[in-house]
Amino acid sequence: MYLVIESLIKIVVIIGGLMGAAAYLVLVERRVAAWIQDRRGPNRVGIPLTEIRLFGLGQPIADGVKFIFKEEFVPGHVDRLLYVAAPMVMFIAAIVLFAAIPFGTVDLGIAGWAPINLVVAPGLDVGIIYIFAVSSIAVYGVLLGSWASNNKYAFFGGVRSAAQLISYEIPLGVAILGVVLATGSLRLEAIVEAQAATGVWNVATQPLGLLVFLVASFAESGRLPFDLAESEQELVGGFHTEYSGIKLMMYLVAEYLHMIAGSFLIVLLFFGGWHFWGLTGDGPVAGIGVALVRIAVFLAKVLAVILFFMIARWSWPRFRFDQLMGLAWKVMLPLGLVNLVAVAVWIEYLRTPLVAAGLPEGLVMAVAGWLLLGVAGLAATAAAPSARDNRPDRSLVARYRDAREAR
Amino acid sequence: MPTIVSIVLGALGMWLLLPRPSLRGRLAGAALAAAAAGLLAGQLPGLAAALDQALFSILAAVTVASAAAAVSLKNPVYCAIWFAMTVLGTAGLFLLQGAQFLAVATIVVYAGAIVVTFLFVLMLAEPGARAAYDRLSWEAMLSAVGGAMLIGVLSTVVGGLLAGGPAGAAAARGEAELAAGVLQDGHVAALGRAMFTDYWIAVQAGGLLLLAALVGAAAIVSGGRSPAAPEADPRPPEDQPPAEEH
Repeated sequence: MYLVIESLIKIVVIIGGLMGAAAYLVLVERRVAAWIQDRRGPNRVGIPLTEIRLFGLGQPIADGVKFIFKEEFVPGHVDRLLYVAAPMVMFIAAIVLFAAIPFGTVDLGIAGWAPINLVVAPGLDVGIIYIFAVSSIAVYGVLLGSWASNNKYAFFGGVRSAAQLISYEIPLGVAILGVVLATGSLRLEAIVEAQAATGVWNVATQPLGLLVFLVASFAESGRLPFDLAESEQELVGGFHTEYSGIKLMMYLVAEYLHMIAGSFLIVLLFFGGWHFWGLTGDGPVAGIGVALVRIAVFLAKVLAVILFFMIARWSWPRFRFDQLMGLAWKVMLPLGLVNLVAVAVWIEYLRTPLVAAGLPEGLVMAVAGWLLLGVAGLAATAAAPSARDNRPDRSLVARYRDAREAR
Repeated sequence: MPTIVSIVLGALGMWLLLPRPSLRGRLAGAALAAAAAGLLAGQLPGLAAALDQALFSILAAVTVASAAAAVSLKNPVYCAIWFAMTVLGTAGLFLLQGAQFLAVATIVVYAGAIVVTFLFVLMLAEPGARAAYDRLSWEAMLSAVGGAMLIGVLSTVVGGLLAGGPAGAAAARGEAELAAGVLQDGHVAALGRAMFTDYWIAVQAGGLLLLAALVGAAAIVSGGRSPAAPEADPRPPEDQPPAEEH
């Protein structure tokens, strides 16, 4: 019984927090965009019916009200059932994903109360694959919505998005495998606790894995360097061209949630989760005060990664589609495999003799990891240039000229 | 103690709900009464087992119904979606049995990759799905008979296992192994150990098969094209683009 109440409280807190965070992150993103483009950004909307502006903090509420009260227009040429279901699928998949995000374990200090694991689904033994599985369901929202719209632009967007999401799931999985292999567990709690116990974050030991994971999660969240599915300039919005009102809002919020989830995962897997040296302690269970500090540290790290996502969005032009696919299959997948093999070799053959020789394990791993990143990066740039010559094939041109001369 | 709390809450809620001179607090009363009813129902003996049974029935019904829809609908896109629904239902059944890894792996592999690829190909090949070969079953009679035979054999064998027939001892042993190895915390590690020790030949054979398929796919994609001998341009010479002058 208490378990049910506890779970309900956790669910309410996480959904409320996510919705509020998504709304206000839109404001943050618009302000960041304005800062990069040397504008002011939305700063007018404050408290209604007064002159108080409050730095534009009322903007998300106004936007939300506008979205909800817009006319919900369903075009006559759509497949009605799938048209209505697709945004819901995407939205639900994006929310359910957060059930496995752990915020640490808190001991209330009351006798008879077991320590509370601050995660919605505490018994989940497969945390990271669960997140992987749920996020792979999100493809359906895009694909079905674009098909049901019965519109060429929407359809192009959907097909592009499906190809992109399927392709980038592979480097994403391979990058996760490196961390899982180093930790020996699929549970996100265990991955964070392992980093906290040694004080060495995975970013120090597996920078190559972080690079692959970062690029892949950018692509999975479909944000600007990889937003071919909705590229406004060619596809007038892509898969959500025919959507309006609250259905469009579901799509947009779901995309935002994917970005937030990607940031959470990056912090959990590579930046030590709630751990910070000297501030949060390094045991798995904490008292109330330390647990609050841990949550604050965790959220601060996540916010930093989200800001990185936003700045990257306004700093990079969009990829061409062949570049996108080439990056996934010819660069990211091999790099991820190199990382995986290196971690496996380290654990199986090198760790025991090196530690027995008296060398500090974390330092050796970090040096080896960054050397590997450098070598692999050089090899990748030398072997697989991501820019391809798009001009007509010279041999074809020469052949045509030969044929004309022969005639 | 929880009983007393829920009864007091229920009394409060009912008092607020009963028609009194003032209508205020009826909503709160309804909420309180519902919470009390939920608390009381939570103390019923055998509730967990009943919920398990109900969940199983719902999931099984969803799985079977969507499987039937997947093979019987005319629009191939809807068929693919119902197939995905079948896969999700199956994953739910696995989860109900405590096989977490199998459940999420089913979702990742089938719903996340295979059905999406189906949908991708269907939508690319024929978005409208109006051709007869997409809308009609090929061997309706044969497939119905084959499916019926499969279900018949399976239910006979499984029924025999459950009833302690000739294979009953094997079933009991399997159940004991399940309880010892799979239904524990950290069962994923146990599963991995089993796969890479007891069943390593099967794992390696599967990997080899996938590798062969991958090489075959690459061969088909490259299609015997070699940079030395590009295919001839099928257009007549006057339609071909003019060569760039350098």
